[in-house]
Amino acid sequence: MTRLKTLLTSAALFATLGITGAMAEVTVLGWPGGPEEAGLRKAADAYNATATDADKVKLIFFNRDGFFDKLAADLAAGSTDFDVNLLATYALGRYAPFMDPISLPDASKTTFPEKVLATMQYDGKQYGIPTDLSLHFMYYRSDLIEKLLSDADWKAKYGEISEKYLGKKLDPKDPDAWTWDDWMATALFFTKSINSDSPTRYGTVLQMKNLLFNMMVWQSTARAQGGDWMNDKGEIIVDSPAYRTALDIYKKLYDEGTSPKDSTTYEFAEANAAFGAGQAATMVQWNAAFGDLDNKEKTPAVAGKIGTVAPPAGPEGRFTHIHGLGLGINKASKNKEGAVKFLNWLGTADAMEIYARAGGSPALSDPVVAKVSAERPDLVKLGQFAGAYGFVMHGGTAAKALQVYELQAKEFTAYWAGDKSLDDALAAAKAGMAELLKP
Amino acid sequence: MPRTSRFEGRLLIAPLTAFLIALLGFPLVLDLIYSISRVGFENIRTPELVGFSNYAKAMADPEFWAAAWFSLRFGLIVAVIQVVAGLGLAVFLAPLFARRPWLIALLMLPMMVAPALVGLMYRLILHEFVGAVPYYLLEWYGDFPAFLGRDWAFTTLVTVETLQWTPFALLILHSSYAAISPDVREAAALDGARGRRLFLNIDLPLMLPAIGITFFIRFIDSFRVFDNLYTLVGPGAGGSTTSMSIYIYQAFFKVGDIGLAVAASMLLLAASFVVLWVINGLTARKAPL
Repeated sequence: MTRLKTLLTSAALFATLGITGAMAEVTVLGWPGGPEEAGLRKAADAYNATATDADKVKLIFFNRDGFFDKLAADLAAGSTDFDVNLLATYALGRYAPFMDPISLPDASKTTFPEKVLATMQYDGKQYGIPTDLSLHFMYYRSDLIEKLLSDADWKAKYGEISEKYLGKKLDPKDPDAWTWDDWMATALFFTKSINSDSPTRYGTVLQMKNLLFNMMVWQSTARAQGGDWMNDKGEIIVDSPAYRTALDIYKKLYDEGTSPKDSTTYEFAEANAAFGAGQAATMVQWNAAFGDLDNKEKTPAVAGKIGTVAPPAGPEGRFTHIHGLGLGINKASKNKEGAVKFLNWLGTADAMEIYARAGGSPALSDPVVAKVSAERPDLVKLGQFAGAYGFVMHGGTAAKALQVYELQAKEFTAYWAGDKSLDDALAAAKAGMAELLKP
Repeated sequence: MPRTSRFEGRLLIAPLTAFLIALLGFPLVLDLIYSISRVGFENIRTPELVGFSNYAKAMADPEFWAAAWFSLRFGLIVAVIQVVAGLGLAVFLAPLFARRPWLIALLMLPMMVAPALVGLMYRLILHEFVGAVPYYLLEWYGDFPAFLGRDWAFTTLVTVETLQWTPFALLILHSSYAAISPDVREAAALDGARGRRLFLNIDLPLMLPAIGITFFIRFIDSFRVFDNLYTLVGPGAGGSTTSMSIYIYQAFFKVGDIGLAVAASMLLLAASFVVLWVINGLTARKAPL
């Protein structure tokens, strides 16, 4: 009996020590795989080199597939397995009830532009330190566009094609001056089935799979026409002429064969494969694709021949969807003090320099990005575009924003695939959004 | 039965009963509660009882019925093709299998691959810019269909499922075919039965129970299709390739309407129970024969 008591006492002691040990470190749940993980690992190493034992950071990662669903389930269940967790702009409203707002350290206000900090705000409160920013570039084949701008025969053909398919004769322009019509004309021109002289099979590659992220890629088109989810009164306005025009731009390009036949099943990877094979002349794509596409070993067909500009302009201006990834504090955390210390450090220019050099994609203020611009020239453009063209739809951080994207993906892809009329798709999207976004 | 034996019987079966109650009973009770509650990730610990509105919502949702129809159509077509192909292969390759049984192991290999990986594999094989199939069709014929597009997605899915799971039907039907006593065939041959007549009047009737079982196993498996479908085409443009499993997954994780998802799964459970009960009844009636 005495031996049993000793064993139980020892077990209890070890358990207590174990718990204390676990509480003494800050567990951070990061975005797995890719440059974000590489960046976070380097940053954590740098932090741990000077932190006390009680504040050291331990990193954990889920699988990327279904990450946000698993995170939602864990947060809702009050998991204490992590103190700091990943946040995304479009999921802020979903996670906010299970997270603690943070007070921004002064350093972070000079590290990040205001617009970037706002990607981690919900209901007037700051929920995280922004670590990565995602937006869209218009990728184009610089060698082909160069020839188009200088070759008289190509220019003449371009005019003929634009007149035949768009009803107006257009002249080729520099991509940085494109309107959506110019892009359409370019996509039509570089489509083999329309122009047999085209060196590429397709003029563009559209991501039209029934997938919420594809709505983010597409909606810069709608915003440039003046589209939004809601007006100031909170009314859903997706059945606007702006949305109709933007949806029709994709529909027309797909129906005319400027994008691969399977485009209704394409997302990030498929679009990159098409562009990387040298068979698509243009593509609206996430900024994260640039590194691999411009890598001579990974995509020899196009590396070194890629230009990137912000998406084309519409009647209301030029826009790119932006959303941020960041890190915030789990409401159920047992070590909030340590979590705050780590986030305060992560918001400094020094920490973000380490993060950026290791592969992360933070959008930084000009003085900070200047320090890493030699190694990461893409970050300069990232910050500029985010500041000049970035937008978040009205309601885009609501608790059910993700469900809105899901709904739009289902309805709009039905229109593009020819399963629904434009009126029916917009009416269904409007009705569903009214339900999802009601106060 | 003496009272002691009855008690011993109950005692012996108690651990298994407790195991089943813990493993099946608890999730079932929880599902029943969720199915009559308004529950999402936000209030997963404090569901709010709302009666049968989730069931009504599912039943009134055209997408629920579209998903049910997709799964039913997919399950039936795939099961029929697999059974016919499996039967054909089992009969025609029987002499070969008798001499080289290791060939069966080779044909079973597709079943060893996880369905999700099969979906990803075909996503690559059928991709216009990295896949072998569109490449050669373009080389030889100058064109190729959009295998994963709206018009071809269903056919592609049926083909992929058939290629992976026909070996299962082949395995069962080969065993059944090989188990038919040579004496029976010899007697029929003495009576003048040959070729097709021998197959239709002797082999096929003797294989019918195995064919029926194979059909239902394949139907059930194909009806609940998820992994390969999800990785290959997802829910499809406008939800055109949404199976029941995908409908439930989307409602649960994507829309966050856990009550609706669980109600839909309970309806599916009830439908499955009715089907299995009918099959069980039919099998029991056939047994004395």
